[in-house]
Amino acid sequence: MLFTTSPSIPCGSLKGGSSIHSRSDIIYSMAASSFTRCLVRSYFCVKCVDHVQTRLQTTTRMFCVSASRSSFVDAPKAQFTDTEVQDILTKITGLDLKKVFRPIRQQLTPPKYKLVTDTELEEAVRKAEEQAKHLLKMPPVLPERKPINDVLYEDQMLEGMDTAKYVFTDINFNVPHRERFIVVREPSGTLRKATWNERDRLIQVYFPKEGRKITPPPIFKEENLRVVFEQDRHEDVLNQCIVQFEPDSAEFKNVLMLTYEDIEKHGKYDLLRSTRFFGGLTWHLVNGRRIDGLLVDMLQRDLMQDAVRLVHLFNLVHPQSESAQQAQTQQATDLDLLKIYAQYESNRAGFIELAVQTCEQAKALSSF
Amino acid sequence: MVHLSSFLLKKYHGGYVVIRLALGGATNRPFYRIVAAYNKCSRDSKYIEQLGSYDPLPNIRNEKLVAFNYERIKYWIACGAHTTKPVAKLLGLAGFFPLHPMTITEAERRQKAALTEEVKMERQEQVEQKEAL
Repeated sequence: MLFTTSPSIPCGSLKGGSSIHSRSDIIYSMAASSFTRCLVRSYFCVKCVDHVQTRLQTTTRMFCVSASRSSFVDAPKAQFTDTEVQDILTKITGLDLKKVFRPIRQQLTPPKYKLVTDTELEEAVRKAEEQAKHLLKMPPVLPERKPINDVLYEDQMLEGMDTAKYVFTDINFNVPHRERFIVVREPSGTLRKATWNERDRLIQVYFPKEGRKITPPPIFKEENLRVVFEQDRHEDVLNQCIVQFEPDSAEFKNVLMLTYEDIEKHGKYDLLRSTRFFGGLTWHLVNGRRIDGLLVDMLQRDLMQDAVRLVHLFNLVHPQSESAQQAQTQQATDLDLLKIYAQYESNRAGFIELAVQTCEQAKALSSF
Repeated sequence: MVHLSSFLLKKYHGGYVVIRLALGGATNRPFYRIVAAYNKCSRDSKYIEQLGSYDPLPNIRNEKLVAFNYERIKYWIACGAHTTKPVAKLLGLAGFFPLHPMTITEAERRQKAALTEEVKMERQEQVEQKEAL
C-alpha cells in the first residue's frame, strides 16, 4: 500500500491538443483505408494522400556493364506514414513520463492524494502510459497544399458594381471543412474560389476553434522566433503552431523547418526528446541526411538502441546510399550498422567508432 | 409543402415563408441576418430559421462577408419560400441563383456615371489649360 498522488492527467491542457489527436487519428485511418467519410466534426479530412513512389528511371545503356549495380533499381522510398517508419520514430521519441506530464500552465488546484494498493498503482501507471502515448501522437507530415486558382465565372458586365469584394461561405454544419464552398466575387466581376489563407480565416470566423487566431500571431515571424529559440521554448512555439496552422500549409512547414534548423544548429535535441515533435525532427534530419549531430547526442547519453534505430531508419529512407547497401550485403544488425554508417556516410566517424567500442567493452564486461 | 398546422399565428390567411434580411447591429453599424420568416411578421421579430448573415460594411481586407446555408435555403425554396430582392441579388452574386437583372443594370449605370465624370474632368482640365495660356 502506498501513498500516491493521482497523476494530474492534463486532458485539455494543450489548448486544442485533444482535438488534434483525434484529427491525426482520422488522418491515419484515412491513409490506411481510403475514402471513409467521417461524420464526426473533423477540422480536416484529408483524402487519401497519393503516396508518391519515387521510382528512379532505370537507365538502359547500350554498352551496359554489370547488372549487379543495384543503385539504379526501382526502390520504393519509405514514407512518413509507413508502419515501420512510425514504429522506429515512436521508439526513438522515448516515453519519459516525468517530462510528458510535467506541470503545464493550468488552473492551480491542490494535489489529490490517494491511498492505493500495489496493483492499483501499477494500473494507474499503465493508464498514465497510455495517456502519454496518446499525447505523443506525431503531427502529420503532408505534402504542401497546392494553391487554388479556380475561376468559376468571368462577368465583365459587372465591372464597376462595387468597390469591395464579396466573400460567400457555406455554413452547412455537415460539410467537412475541406469540402466547403467558399467563393469570392471580385469588384471586376470574376467569381473565383477562395485561396487557402482566405479559407482558413473564414472557417475560423464561422466555426471558431479554440486557441486559433484569425490573423497568425506575431510570434511566428522570424525575428520573434529567434528570440523564443534563445529562451529554449521550442516546444511552446510548436504547440502554438499546430493549433494555429493546418498541417499542410506553407506557414506550418516553414515554422517547423526553422525550429528544426535551430535545434540542429545548437544541438538542443533533448528539448524535444519525449514530446510529440521528436518524430518530425528526426524525419526532417533524415531526409536532409544530417543525422550526425543527433547520433552523437544519442551516443553521449548512452542510448545505443535509439542510435541503431536511427541508422536503420536512415537506411530505409535512403536505400541507395552506400551504408544501406553495405548493410544489406552484410545483413548487419545493431552495432555493426553503426560501424558501417560511421565508415561510409558520417562526418564524425571517429567519435561514433569510439562510442561503439566503449559500448562493446561495457557489454563484454557486464557479460562476465 | 408548408404545413399549415405548424403556423404560430392562427389568424393568418394566405401567408407564405420569405427569405429576407433582418436588420441588427448598432447605430451607424448595420448587420443583416438572412432569415426564413413568415411574410407578415415584422422585420426583426421571431423567425423560423436563420440561414446566414450579411455584413454590409467591408472589413480591413476590403471584403464583405456573407454566409449562406445552401442546404437549408434549398429546403425552404422547395417548400415554396419567396426571396426578397436583396437576398436574390446576393444569391446571384454568389452564383447560387442566376445574376439578378438589377445588379447588371446598376453596374451599367455606374459605368456610365464613371464615364461621364471622366469626360467632365477632361473638359475641366482643358478649360483650365486654356485659361492658363
